[in-house]
Amino acid sequence: HDDRTAPSFRNRKGRGPHKGRFDRSRRDRHRGGQSGSFSGGPGPRSRLEDTDGDVTMSDGSQDSSGQNRTPYGRPSRKGEGRFERDRRPFKGGRGGSFRGGERGGGGGSGLGIPHGKKYDKKWLLTALQNICSVPYRPVQYHVDHNRAHFYVDDLNAANALHKCSHKITDTDGYKVEVHVNNCHPPSFVMSDLKPEHLEHLKQCMAKRFDGSQQALDLNNIRTDPLVSQNVEVTLNRKISMEAVIKIIEENIPELTSLNLSNNRIHKLDELTELVTKVPNLKTLNLSHNELKSDKELDKVKGWKLVELWLNRNPLCEYFKDQASYIAVRQRFPRLLKLDGHDLPPPIGFDVGSCFGSDEIKALILRFLQYYSIYDSSDRQPLLDAYHDGASFSLTTPFSSQNPSSSLGEYHKDSRNLKRLKDPMRFRLLKHTRLNVVAFLNELPKTQHDIASFTVDVNTYTNTLLTFTVSGVFKEVVDGKSREPTMAFSRVFITVPAGNSLCIVNDHLFVRMATTEEIRKAFVAPAPTPSSSPVPTLTAPQQEMLTAFSQKSGMNLEWSQCLQDNEWDFNRAAQIFTQLRSEDKIPDVAFIK
Amino acid sequence: MASTVDFRTHVDQSCRYSEEFVNIYYDCMDKKRRNLTRLYLDKATLVWNGNAVSGQEALAEFFESLPSSEFQVLTSDCQPVHEQATQGQTTLLVLTCGLVKFEGNKQRYFNQNFLLTAQASPNNDQPVWKIASDCFRFQDWNS
Repeated sequence: HDDRTAPSFRNRKGRGPHKGRFDRSRRDRHRGGQSGSFSGGPGPRSRLEDTDGDVTMSDGSQDSSGQNRTPYGRPSRKGEGRFERDRRPFKGGRGGSFRGGERGGGGGSGLGIPHGKKYDKKWLLTALQNICSVPYRPVQYHVDHNRAHFYVDDLNAANALHKCSHKITDTDGYKVEVHVNNCHPPSFVMSDLKPEHLEHLKQCMAKRFDGSQQALDLNNIRTDPLVSQNVEVTLNRKISMEAVIKIIEENIPELTSLNLSNNRIHKLDELTELVTKVPNLKTLNLSHNELKSDKELDKVKGWKLVELWLNRNPLCEYFKDQASYIAVRQRFPRLLKLDGHDLPPPIGFDVGSCFGSDEIKALILRFLQYYSIYDSSDRQPLLDAYHDGASFSLTTPFSSQNPSSSLGEYHKDSRNLKRLKDPMRFRLLKHTRLNVVAFLNELPKTQHDIASFTVDVNTYTNTLLTFTVSGVFKEVVDGKSREPTMAFSRVFITVPAGNSLCIVNDHLFVRMATTEEIRKAFVAPAPTPSSSPVPTLTAPQQEMLTAFSQKSGMNLEWSQCLQDNEWDFNRAAQIFTQLRSEDKIPDVAFIK
Repeated sequence: MASTVDFRTHVDQSCRYSEEFVNIYYDCMDKKRRNLTRLYLDKATLVWNGNAVSGQEALAEFFESLPSSEFQVLTSDCQPVHEQATQGQTTLLVLTCGLVKFEGNKQRYFNQNFLLTAQASPNNDQPVWKIASDCFRFQDWNS
């Protein structure tokens, strides 16, 4: 191994620029009021989970079988002693008790066998394995007084072993008892990662590294023969994770894709350090682990992830619906794929927009689905977007010429204080939710060019978020959009409402588009506006439709494939996944 | 806003304040630029064609850097902001559209909106209106 000539990536490009490139100034403001999303039992999420888990895992986006790929070289300037030198002493006086464990200390349990001293270790462990429903791996088998002890790194195994109590009869005719102590395997079990062990680990990681993609695949690394025969590497243990992280940061700081799936990881504490050391990471696969709360993701939210896999983690069960699950995106505003599914693209808003923070941006982008309803043939559902005491008014530019232009429809309702006196001033300010939506329903049908939108965030406080949305749209007559192109500037004043926003004030300014705006408008393929009104759906169907739309990334209209599948969510999801993988779903289905 | 009558009075007053504000603001902008920041809250934010400027000092610096202007307001509108959004603090949304010519530049259309909040004033028994946020864009900004 030492003779390998593969260049070290560190040496090739150096590290300095990466450190500099990482933007530490990103604001870490958290939005409150999230806790509501964790209540409730498994909803559509868990059902979808069952259907897509296999599909997503077999996508093979992070293929690991790269035997002939360029392995990374060891850093030539640093000796092996580095690991020794850098190894940190364990914190805190642990004494003889492991109870409570330290953060990230492990997710397993200790097992005790009374009178275990008299048994042959191999006989006992084999006998237990023969009747234990779950394969387990005993760690640090030892005898203390009369008792035999060992640890397993997995609670399931511990529980299964517990059930084996009193099931084995020893040669003396006694039943073998198995006790479970709810303690973590001690870190010192792993504390002797010797240089040769690290070398094995490093070789294993080199084998699993794809230099052309800058991708490292550590899927199920504890069963890798190269590692497991020589040294135990279980990534739910602090010491293993730290060793792996050290190897990554010293050898492949330019890593863009990291697969940690199937490693029983339940904490991401150690990864935090990697965020600054490996700033270019774009893809992170955490699927098939033991993450119990999406709050763990806060520890790695500095990564500007584009793709994230979380499926098959306990945390997935806690989301009551798709919308709240997809909200993990708030931590990774650039996320385009979640569990292998495309998320509604956040395109078209970056240029010239002023969002203030990534959290606000994610919130507003979600809110802008307002326009998919506004552009539909029935604006009545917008009732849900408005506060009971909401106000709305609109203005058009004042011009005496050309009163018959397309602006005419708006012009007659233009509330220009420069021209109007009472009582028109009062009459043209639409007040209360019902009046506002009734009025919006009377305005010409529209098709907005979402790609043209810019958003300015004016103000945000705990109780209010004000933003201005500008862009272009066309009128829709008989299901077809028609010239001319018009432009709008719309101010929304909103208050927080659960996971989304509720409009209290809404002002719309409409004018004719400029030549330049017309040239740039609707360059992206435009959705065909729904010509037939959305059939009346029951509330559960509406809910399912929304969930399906959010999960699939398709707009509401296309999500009505649910109807073709007799509202069988799973079947529709399966068909969607298949068609999607065959690239048979047109882009228009994803334009919202 | 307990009843319609109250709301109507509220709307009526808002319109008057708004008209007064628009006159004062653009007069100040064109002719007494140095006084302009006094109309803003200490922590006010201005978003000017997508660029955020926050706080008195930054605002003063920004307005100083702007060429002298001639604003012509063609339309204005105003809404009282719902009290739930402002925790009961009286707040107005003021919207303007018009033409502006900055010295050395061609005349362009603009849209601007303000949030005004009523603030207790140390020099005055009556509260005064202050700009909490200001959002400005040229209509042909995208061109």
